[in-house]
Amino acid sequence: MGLTGYLLLAAALFSLGVFGVVTRRNAIGVLASVELMANAVNLNLVAFSRHHAGPTGQVFALFSIALTVAEVVVGLALVLLLFRAKGDVRIELASELKD
Amino acid sequence: MSPLYTALLCTFLPLAAALVLVLVSPLRRAGLAAGLFSVATALIAFGGAVTLLLERWSGAATPVRETVRWLPHAGLGGGAHARAVIELGVQIDGISATMLVVVTAVAACVQIFSLGYMAGEPKPDFGRYFTWQSLFLFSMNSLVVAPNLLQLFLGWELVGLVSYLLIGYWWSKPSAARAAMKAFWMTKLADMGLILALLVLFVDTGSFDWTVTTSAAGAVTLLLFFAVMGKSAQFPLHVWLPDAMEGPTPVSALLHAATMVAAGVFLVVRAFPLFEQAPTTGLVMAYVGAFTALFAAVIAVVQTDIKKVLAYSTCSQLGYMVAALGAGSQVGGFFHLTTHACFKALLFLAAGSIIHGVHSNELSHMGGLWSRMRVTSVAFLVGALALAGVPGLAGFFSKDLILEHVLERGLWAPLGALLVAAFLTAFYMGRVTLVALFGRPSAHAEHAHEGGVSLLAPLVVLAVPAAGVGWLGAKLSGLYAAPVHFHLSPVGMVATGLALAGLGLAYWMFGAPQGGGRLRAAFAPIGRLARSGAVNARFAWGYGVLGGVSSIFAWFDRYVIDGLMNGLGYATLALGARLRGLQTGRAQDYVYVLVAAMLGVGAYGAFWSR
Repeated sequence: MGLTGYLLLAAALFSLGVFGVVTRRNAIGVLASVELMANAVNLNLVAFSRHHAGPTGQVFALFSIALTVAEVVVGLALVLLLFRAKGDVRIELASELKD
Repeated sequence: MSPLYTALLCTFLPLAAALVLVLVSPLRRAGLAAGLFSVATALIAFGGAVTLLLERWSGAATPVRETVRWLPHAGLGGGAHARAVIELGVQIDGISATMLVVVTAVAACVQIFSLGYMAGEPKPDFGRYFTWQSLFLFSMNSLVVAPNLLQLFLGWELVGLVSYLLIGYWWSKPSAARAAMKAFWMTKLADMGLILALLVLFVDTGSFDWTVTTSAAGAVTLLLFFAVMGKSAQFPLHVWLPDAMEGPTPVSALLHAATMVAAGVFLVVRAFPLFEQAPTTGLVMAYVGAFTALFAAVIAVVQTDIKKVLAYSTCSQLGYMVAALGAGSQVGGFFHLTTHACFKALLFLAAGSIIHGVHSNELSHMGGLWSRMRVTSVAFLVGALALAGVPGLAGFFSKDLILEHVLERGLWAPLGALLVAAFLTAFYMGRVTLVALFGRPSAHAEHAHEGGVSLLAPLVVLAVPAAGVGWLGAKLSGLYAAPVHFHLSPVGMVATGLALAGLGLAYWMFGAPQGGGRLRAAFAPIGRLARSGAVNARFAWGYGVLGGVSSIFAWFDRYVIDGLMNGLGYATLALGARLRGLQTGRAQDYVYVLVAAMLGVGAYGAFWSR
């Protein structure tokens, strides 16, 4: 299978992630969808790294994974605080910055 | 030490001091120790700057320009940009060496003065104050030694930030917080001009140097001048400067009189090769500068707050500098910057000493200080006379040079405005001096007394250049241009006559019935002349008209110019109120828009742009 297959898979994963981010009501679901988007990008990076026969893309992917982990930690902490404050994790509850 | 390292020391030592004060909080919270630490670094920086200037003074040193690659520019299109490299570095020549000495000297004096003036502050706040003072010195020096406009822009923004922090030093006072905000936003608005100028220049030439030849000189210089109008408080962007007096008085002396507001003028002096390519911009500058000089001088006549008088006077003198540069006189503008820094810093510090003694800014609360605060009074008098343009003192030389150049260019309207401004300058300085120092002592002033040695030493030190720096003009101008030979020109004599007339009028109107003594006797002939005969009535009428016009201008400034600026703010707020319906506060809605936009851009790229 050539590059195209990976790219199509990554695009599909990314689109699923976007769909999830926009439609999920549960904050944890939104976070999971963000993960899906990030991993689609990582897949792209690795695929191109293979395609160009160089290490750059893989290195980037490793960085990206590490960053994503950090981001999830922050995200889950936010969800926890949201739950403590509101007793629920529905994302539309977190809209106070509007005012 | 080579000039390069000396310059780096001057620049980075204050930064190091600021970082130490930020990071080592026990030192910062110790109060006086933090202040002494900051003063020590400022004095070392001053020593370095003097070394640099002396090297140039002896004529041995050639200009130094050392840069390092900061950002390689990866070919934005072809042509000039392809190989462009963005550099940071140091340029030491006559202009930057002179400016470094001015900046570090005034900063060192102001910091020493602050040791006494701010002594009553809580210790942590005292440390915070000196942290920012050090940060200011770094910012200003990095601006001064900049080898290109980009680095100058970085320093420019940094001094803007420090200015905001220092105006709002008493942040719990609403008026100070508002003034800090106002200064920040007004100058930010003007800074848009600078960044746009940089963009235009870079797109046109692929460089941020001021030595390049550009086909877009008109646009670049007009945009630069817009930035100068903000920073150097030119009409109509001057409204932030009088409000900036909410900061501590030493801050006003350093930032809002001697150095930071002069950064705009310094920018023009630096980028003079660009401005020479655009004669129209010069014309605009001459008119705007001359108008500002007159306008601000008229307002200064009716102010009752001693700092406000000096603030409007600063506006007015900056107008002089801008007009000189507009008339094509680099030397005139820069030399007036130098002399003005000396005597205006002196005036502000003396005013600070007076305020420290009287505990009030109001002129009506002063009076009779000549006998109670002798050192301060003498210093203030020297500064006032230098500003008024009394022959032999600093202001006389630079003002004369400017007027001569404006006359040479045949700019009659600006010349007239500047001459009237010279008369008014002498008049309002005479008024302030006579009322504050020789007037009938008010209840506040009864118990006025001198502060400690840290308040007086800077006054004595600054009084020397305020009186004498004019005599160095020929040599100083020779450091970066053809040396100017000073001589008393006809227009200079007219200006001096007008200045003396202004002082005489002030004496006639505010001349002290008590106090004064010998000084009063010296001025008595002028007073008698003014008092004699039927001219009295006409003078009184004239002053009525002058006061009326002045009040109208002040009203215009307060409500129309300020109102215009506030209106701009309200319009933005109203627009925001309309648009806030789009803001639901739900992250998912934003993501939705984001994705839609991304798809739109992608589709455009894929289908239509081919």
